[in-house]
Amino acid sequence: MISAPTDTRRRSSLSPAWAALAPLTIILALFFVVPIGGMVVTSLLVTGSSPGTSAFSTDNFTALGSGSRSMALKNSLLLSFTAASVAAVFGGICAWAISTVKSTVVDSLTAVISSVLANDGGVPLAFSFIVAVGNTGYFTALITAVDSTFTLYSVKGLILMYQYFLIPTMILLTLPSFVALKQQWREANTSLGGNSWTFWRRVGLPVISPALLGAWLLMFGSAFGTHASAAVLIGTGAFPLIPLEIAGQLAGSAATGGEGVAMALGVTTGVIAVIVLIAFNALTKRSAKWLNS
Amino acid sequence: MAQQLKPGNRERHGVTKFFAWLPLVALAIFILTPLLSSLTYSFFRSDGSFTTSGLTGLADSGRIVAPLTRSLIVSVLAAVVLIATVVPAVVAVHLWAPKMRSVLSILCTLPLVVPAIAIVAGLSAVLRNLASHGRGSLGMELNAILQSQDLPLVLVGTYVVLCLPFTYRSIDAGLSTLPLRTLYESSSILGARMGTTLWQVVMPNIRGPIMFSAFFTFALSIAEYTVAATLSINTLPVFLNTLSSTNFRGSITLSVLLNLTTWLLLASATLSASRFGHRSTAEPEANVANEPRKEAEIS
Repeated sequence: MISAPTDTRRRSSLSPAWAALAPLTIILALFFVVPIGGMVVTSLLVTGSSPGTSAFSTDNFTALGSGSRSMALKNSLLLSFTAASVAAVFGGICAWAISTVKSTVVDSLTAVISSVLANDGGVPLAFSFIVAVGNTGYFTALITAVDSTFTLYSVKGLILMYQYFLIPTMILLTLPSFVALKQQWREANTSLGGNSWTFWRRVGLPVISPALLGAWLLMFGSAFGTHASAAVLIGTGAFPLIPLEIAGQLAGSAATGGEGVAMALGVTTGVIAVIVLIAFNALTKRSAKWLNS
Repeated sequence: MAQQLKPGNRERHGVTKFFAWLPLVALAIFILTPLLSSLTYSFFRSDGSFTTSGLTGLADSGRIVAPLTRSLIVSVLAAVVLIATVVPAVVAVHLWAPKMRSVLSILCTLPLVVPAIAIVAGLSAVLRNLASHGRGSLGMELNAILQSQDLPLVLVGTYVVLCLPFTYRSIDAGLSTLPLRTLYESSSILGARMGTTLWQVVMPNIRGPIMFSAFFTFALSIAEYTVAATLSINTLPVFLNTLSSTNFRGSITLSVLLNLTTWLLLASATLSASRFGHRSTAEPEANVANEPRKEAEIS
């Protein structure tokens, strides 16, 4: 950049560049970088021995290992793991089905509906599930006939509700991979005497498994961070989850000093999310190697 | 290749196709059931008689007006701010700092993985810190401006950040297909300033991504609950949740309306991204980009 001959030209053309970049930079700094930084710092601060001072410590993080917080972490992990796995199976089957029926109507409907539903997960979603399969829902009897212990306000209910945005996410993420499975591979498999079982076991699944695993990871992260619909359904306390715990600690922190703990929980969520993204990127690169060649 | 398949194979393929419809039908039922349930509940009592009490109940108590206008203002502002900040930034990076492109891309994708609840936790820490400086201080005033119930700027900013990952990619992809440098240089030779170039030359060429971003941001902002609820700002979804304890049928009706609105907006976002996207990218590619490539292939 410092090379002499072009220096003056470059400097004169840099100013509009910075002017154009500034607004976005300010927004990102104010509403993303500063909050995240503030969260990390607050999570590492505890009130010091004399009032009004504070010291760096990891106490807030060790506090996560006890009581309702460790319960929330366990619940959140279990819920996200199960919900993502169920969605991976059903969403995977649906993505395969969509790539198999090859109907233009289904294809265009999928494109719109899956991207719409993948962004769902708000208050209306929880309400529509309360009406459908809540305590006095229209279809509650249908589900309790199969599983008598089912209630919407439990881990099973949450898993069912999360499918509403996770399955479309799975379809959105894996359908391109199913479509990209080459017809020649199928024919090669047939001419070598294989049937569709051997095709999927030896060719299909190995090729798309990075895409499936990546989608599973992303859904895990998405389920882990979902707050709105869970908050409406569960409220606070009944079934502790990390996002609900954060909101609860923030609401009560003035009196209980739970702010530091809330921040530590927030940092934990963020770290899990970043790990998910890194692993997802690695997996996507791997599957792209086969499917885009 | 199909004619080489044995007839038995083709038959088996037909069977597979038939079985492939089953999960799709099941999925359609799963998607439609909650929606139709709440639609039915909004307009029919448990004995099956028709009622509009949910709908009229909403209008009667004027309490809905304030959250509704607040949500509308925040959502429109978020969409406008997003487009006004992202488009110049992406153009600048494409024109003058291609090396910054990956940095910008990472920065704009990060909010995708950091959940809203974590961002709002950080925000409330910062806001509390601002307020702790005491009455009359700059921090306190900033805190009050950001969280004002009339115009909660903190929501506008946060929603812009939350929508960045989706809209940045669309705008970046749209701009990648344009001969940006040519457009910019010819426009500045004709005497246009940067702002004029952006508004009159660049924007019309990426109408698809712009419309997608506007619809998407509006839809996500109007339905967002986590940030608003945690900061105790009474937006439409927050109001919806409190309404459910007093007027359940009304809250279900409102939730159906809100749901349908966001779905329609998101569907138009997806459609405008694909429809306008193709039209606006096809032209410059056919005229400018393809021809030199053809020559290169021939020579």
